[in-house]
Amino acid sequence: MTKFYTLTCTELVEAAKEFKFIWLSLFFVILGITQPLITKYMDVILENVGGADGITIDPNRPVPSSAEVLLSTISGQFNQIGLIILIISFMGLIAADRNSGMQDFILTRPVSLRSYLLSKLMGHWVISMFSISIGAVVSYGYTIFLFGSFSFSNFLLFLLLYSLWILFVVSLAILISTFVKSPILIAITTIAASIFFILIKGFNHFLFQLSPGGTLNLAENQLLSVHDSNYFSIATCVAFILLNLSWANMNLKKS
Amino acid sequence: MITVVKLHKTIKKRKILSDVTFSIAEGECVGLLGPNGAGKTTLIKCMTGILQHEQGNITFNSKPIVQHKKNIGYLSQHTDFKPWMTCEESLFFFGKLSGLDKTFLKGNISAVLEEVGLKDKGNYKVEQLSGGMKQRLGIAQAILHQPLLLILDEPVSALDPIGRNEVKKLIARLKKRTTIIISTHILDDASEFCDRYIIIKNGMIVGNITEEFQKSDRKQILVKMGNVPQTSEALKSSEVERVECLSPNTFLLTGAVELDLQKVVNDFAAKEMDITSIEFYERGIEEIFLEMVSDT
Repeated sequence: MTKFYTLTCTELVEAAKEFKFIWLSLFFVILGITQPLITKYMDVILENVGGADGITIDPNRPVPSSAEVLLSTISGQFNQIGLIILIISFMGLIAADRNSGMQDFILTRPVSLRSYLLSKLMGHWVISMFSISIGAVVSYGYTIFLFGSFSFSNFLLFLLLYSLWILFVVSLAILISTFVKSPILIAITTIAASIFFILIKGFNHFLFQLSPGGTLNLAENQLLSVHDSNYFSIATCVAFILLNLSWANMNLKKS
Repeated sequence: MITVVKLHKTIKKRKILSDVTFSIAEGECVGLLGPNGAGKTTLIKCMTGILQHEQGNITFNSKPIVQHKKNIGYLSQHTDFKPWMTCEESLFFFGKLSGLDKTFLKGNISAVLEEVGLKDKGNYKVEQLSGGMKQRLGIAQAILHQPLLLILDEPVSALDPIGRNEVKKLIARLKKRTTIIISTHILDDASEFCDRYIIIKNGMIVGNITEEFQKSDRKQILVKMGNVPQTSEALKSSEVERVECLSPNTFLLTGAVELDLQKVVNDFAAKEMDITSIEFYERGIEEIFLEMVSDT
């Protein structure tokens, strides 16, 4: 436990030294405020920046609800550009250690592979959720200011479930890192695999519910106040995370 | 101290180690030699418990090696620390991972830094260190927990002559108190420290060379003459089959079978030849190594 704590703390201090907490948070804040501002002031923006010739904006168009704006922020911004940048930020989580020889130094100590992998998972999940939470809270503030109130408890529940999805993405990056050595390839493969788990919804809903992407759907349902949510997908997501870690553990032992 | 028995290791369906068996006693300094890609690093990774082997046993004082990780110090081939950490922070980090007590660490870190000649660099960030200093810091992390066995993987191969010299001096000091395994393909370096050599080729042990082995081949004699003979043929006798001139007054005599030194001396005395020194020729490790790893 002490070794897991030491390794996790080192991951967090390293992220702080690299200003990851700051730039990643700023990035999510920008993503978080862009969507509500664009949705609210689209006509003003078009008018001021020009290029609105031939575009007619219906002045009587329905004003979206705060839930819809929050959902489009998460699905449109956080889960696309946000996810890509997040994965790029931790693409070297194991590759860097392996290439520098640090992994060998750590694993020749009385440190279990489980502690090493869990510290990577925990460290990068904390960094990710710190930034995402700040971005999401700022986005929440802007949304309720511009589009009306929204239940804060539902928002928190959304964040909690969304964090499980992020935990899965980090575990996926860890698993892929044990197969591939190049950080760029790790990033591309993790992004492709994560997008697959999101897009699977459109192909087969049942399969989607059984995949880790089901947790993402469950999180989004908290924003839409849908009550027929499938909580079984939480168990599926946890199972996938454990599977990823066990597989990564096995791979590292072998090679 | 450490015993490896019938070790096999396959990575991605490629056999890396095959039937590797050897043992190392306490206090020995053993060179693990082999050409690039011979399997030295994989063998070391199995011995340090980083990699799992499929077959065979590795024991340390009769117990599985994984139970003895705290007694092993390891310096990997590629030494790089977290660049943002200072030397002291790096050692503190590795000390914590070794399960060392905070108070013990505080005292021991400065002692270890002094030992490796980095006493005044404790507050330097790793990124500010030269290659030789980083390698010495690597050795510092390996000896921090006072291991019984020190495994050094290519400790000097990536260094410039100054860095190599610094690290070699340090290894010579450590040899006096710790069992050491040095993996290298630089034979001159190995011959400076090692009491014994294990030669590995294509994942198999092809030689276990001791000092006695180097001397055991008594087919060659090295002779230094006071007066240079008119012809080297004059040195030939019934026992000496070939004479090689190494310098104007130094000759290497080779026999078809083991030579009798006294008989050769008597033979020269009978011919009234002026001999200043005569001894059995000791083959260098490089010569033996090349013979063992060559494909012909």
